Amino acid sequence: MSKTSCRRKVTSAKITDWVEPSFEDFFGNSGKVTSQTFGASKRAAGKKDESTLENKSQSKKRANPFSATHCNDGGKATSGQSQNDPWIDKYRPNIQADLAVHKKKVEEVETWLRAHAAKQQGGSILLLTGPPGCGKTATILVLAKEMEIQVQEWINPLMQEYKSDEPPEIFDREMGFQIFTSQSQSALFQDFLLRANKYNKLQMLGESPSTDQKLIIVDDMPNQFYRDPTILHDILRKFVKTGRCPLVFIISDSLSGDSHQRRLFPKDIQDELCVCNISFNPVAPTSMMKVLSRIAATEASTSGGKFVIPDKEALELLCSGCSGDIRSAINSLQFSALKDSSLPTDFWTKKKGKQPKASKSSSKSKSKKKSDKAGDHSDEVQAIGGKDASLFLFRALGKILHCKREAPEAELISHKLPSHLSQHDRDLLLVLPEAVVEKSHMRSELFNLYLHQNYLDFFSDIDDVVRASEYLSAADVLTGDWNSRSTLNVYSSSVASRGVIHSNTSRAFANCQSGVGFRPLHKPQWLLVNRKYQENALAARELFSSFCSSPMCLQTQVVPYLAKLTNPLRNQAQIAYIQDVGRLPLKRHFERIRLEALTDKDPGDADSGDEEDPAHGQVTKETGCKLGDKTPDGSLPSSQGGEGDLPISQPQPVTAQAIMEDEDVKIEEYDSD
Amino acid sequence: MSLWVDKYRPTSLSKLDYHKQQAAQLKNLVQCGDFPHLLVFGPSGAGKKTRIMCLLRELYGAGVEKLRIEHQTITTPSKKKIEISTIASNYHLEVNPSDAGNSDRVVIQELLKTVAQSQQLETSTQRDFKVVLLTEVDKLTKDAQHALRRTMEKYMSTCRLILCCNSTSKVISPIRSRCLAVRVPAPSTDEICTVLFNVCKKEGLSLPQELARKIAEKSGRNLRKALLICEACRVQQYPFSSDQDLPETDWEVYVKETANAIVSQQTPQRLLEVRGRLYELLTHCIPPEIIMKSLLSELLNNCDGQLKGEVAQMAAHYEHRLQLGSKAIYHLEAFVAKFMAIYKRFMEDGLEAMMF
Repeated sequence: MSKTSCRRKVTSAKITDWVEPSFEDFFGNSGKVTSQTFGASKRAAGKKDESTLENKSQSKKRANPFSATHCNDGGKATSGQSQNDPWIDKYRPNIQADLAVHKKKVEEVETWLRAHAAKQQGGSILLLTGPPGCGKTATILVLAKEMEIQVQEWINPLMQEYKSDEPPEIFDREMGFQIFTSQSQSALFQDFLLRANKYNKLQMLGESPSTDQKLIIVDDMPNQFYRDPTILHDILRKFVKTGRCPLVFIISDSLSGDSHQRRLFPKDIQDELCVCNISFNPVAPTSMMKVLSRIAATEASTSGGKFVIPDKEALELLCSGCSGDIRSAINSLQFSALKDSSLPTDFWTKKKGKQPKASKSSSKSKSKKKSDKAGDHSDEVQAIGGKDASLFLFRALGKILHCKREAPEAELISHKLPSHLSQHDRDLLLVLPEAVVEKSHMRSELFNLYLHQNYLDFFSDIDDVVRASEYLSAADVLTGDWNSRSTLNVYSSSVASRGVIHSNTSRAFANCQSGVGFRPLHKPQWLLVNRKYQENALAARELFSSFCSSPMCLQTQVVPYLAKLTNPLRNQAQIAYIQDVGRLPLKRHFERIRLEALTDKDPGDADSGDEEDPAHGQVTKETGCKLGDKTPDGSLPSSQGGEGDLPISQPQPVTAQAIMEDEDVKIEEYDSD
Repeated sequence: MSLWVDKYRPTSLSKLDYHKQQAAQLKNLVQCGDFPHLLVFGPSGAGKKTRIMCLLRELYGAGVEKLRIEHQTITTPSKKKIEISTIASNYHLEVNPSDAGNSDRVVIQELLKTVAQSQQLETSTQRDFKVVLLTEVDKLTKDAQHALRRTMEKYMSTCRLILCCNSTSKVISPIRSRCLAVRVPAPSTDEICTVLFNVCKKEGLSLPQELARKIAEKSGRNLRKALLICEACRVQQYPFSSDQDLPETDWEVYVKETANAIVSQQTPQRLLEVRGRLYELLTHCIPPEIIMKSLLSELLNNCDGQLKGEVAQMAAHYEHRLQLGSKAIYHLEAFVAKFMAIYKRFMEDGLEAMMF
């Protein structure tokens, strides 16, 4: 947000330069500067003469979706800014060297731009992803400027133009229609793409005639697309065919359930449209530190004592508190530097004094480093700019499974466990499991499932596995009763994660943590298996209801033996079911349930959490209907060959007997023998 | 054409093949035209259902065999719709309330109410009560059982309940005390043999004595299973030979293979493979308790006397947890891991003993 506001300012500053002479004598230097724009914005600006320049340009921006064109070669824009401007605007990166993004990433984007900006036919699409505040937009803007590419940006238009201060009588019919004939956002977006593609932007006075290379940036997705991504896909397909300039989408990763990136750009669409996806990481503490100290130094020298520049330690704390979000880091730096803030000087490190000094010899910075490494800062609550740190599931699991430890300091060795407990001796843990689970934003049952799916890869001794599996089993028992589940959830994940960490004796000490190397993590199979179990059990009950036997003996005796027998069955569905469920592949290898690898930024499966009524076969209406739909044509999922390759022993269905074909008849006559 | 199990199921109390004394007692019970609520229990494949149906026939005549399958929809107070299928005749209604999962209480109350509130039309020729047959009562939640207890008293005048379950240990005692308990023990091996001979005679087949005995032993005194095996034998090979292999179901073979895999190697990697196999069994609708049980019996074959006790105790421990918990795989896997560890130690001890 603040970045866009900055660009607005850039434009407004330019506009001011451009129009000032002609209006100077009428309105003073804060006059009606926006009158050169479209009618709608004129109205918007006109009614608020007394408002500041900044406000006005903002409202103008909102009013017109196509006025978002701006140039980035106005580096001097920053020069005329007052001290009250947000530093985030003041210290915007203008050259590549200023960027806090990793060099490799910048290069990656640059190569892409160079490869695609020049070619004139066929639009190409780049997708930039990463957590908020990691410099996605800044990178692309800086690069565009350096390469002298025009940037056109889509900004969501404000649809409603109704102004309350206008008296209703001048609001005649025509006028009203004019105002309210609005297009849908997606239509506007398509329109924008078309125009941006076809026409160069207006040449403003005093601008150097830039190259005709163009770049379209979409930072602000029209909301409609979140609801129905297929519209976006259609538009993009068209764009790829007809477009003449690169299109860049910038999407922030979100940790909450559904990731926008995955919904808007599923893998198949990415492949189809040759979308190049570059994903940014959070800004590294070192480069953030560099930026912050640079800003602090500049401010200290220019402000003339107006700001109190925090010392290095405070900066470090700021860095770590922002979890890689440079925008929020700079904002909090500015806030903290305000001189007459009533904050006490030691506000930063409120609880720092409480931190136990493990060793007197160790310097202050060392003890600090340790707490930083612990990764969760639970002992230092940051007052300003602290951000809820969060972890992607992949990393959260990694933290638990790799369980980093630290060798204790020399003095502490005396606190060893007595000899009979020596097998439980462990080095100091560097992660706090509860915090990790909390940061993964996941229900603890689901987190346990993920742990369970993956822990075996990290164990080498069967005795450790016994202990770990025992803990996992105990964790499940804790949440078994639905009455107390909501309370015990937390404890359950704690038992599971700590249990898994503790049991792994091969990683008990800091010095024996030879890395197991990279191990792929997988999504839990249990959810799928359980769902299949329920579905199959339900299907068995539906299909073989005429056997009048209890589910248990139906599943374990009747169905498996039916697979061995030659009894003619009533319909195709039953035969398919017997083929599928009654038989097991008796080969050494079965790869029926595919392992689904967990990738870097996968959120926890949102849909798989759908298991509120476990233990009992829950007959939900949906599944019942689904099965009903499936039964007539006998298309139950069969993995072992359809009806085409039935063995000879399995007789073909006798259609005359197929009473169950007609699913609409709910009551069936049935004669028992 | 139906399975032998269904085809040759006796239909009257006097035709039952075994536990004849009990059959006579049941006959006496309904002779006077009325009977209390019944709780029929016994192991699977012992003939509980058969006995109940015979009883009903004794009571109502042949009309009770005219069955129809109905699908009912019941709405819970929380507006959730539950679909449940019932098997009914004009005189009785059979339902498995545990199909409804957690909402079984509602199912029991609603169903019993609708049945009990309608009076029988012709009390002169018929009984003045209907019978509701509830199967798998031991799978009911405690909630539902308490609801049942109240309902039993309330509608005593118009409705009799017959509860059917494998074990009474999960039935709350108020229900047990309100019912006449009828235990149907599993048939002995000889009784199974007799039944097999009879069935084969009716089918026009000759069954060798040895094969019959083998089947009966294999079935674990489960008559249904014995008949299914016998029928499968018929498919496999006829005329029967006394030394032919008995067909096993795929999942039993699969469990056996899994047990072999566990015994042959005890490493985390192997455990991972075993987990995959457990998942495979689960997707083929084998309930976790059954997996646990059959896996245990396969594993016990590889243990010596002292180890057997230890392993069985462990299995009991984890099966208990499996009942308490909600996700079976944790407990199955923990059991397998534990067995692996114990077995590994046992083997190592054995090796050492051999060396010295």
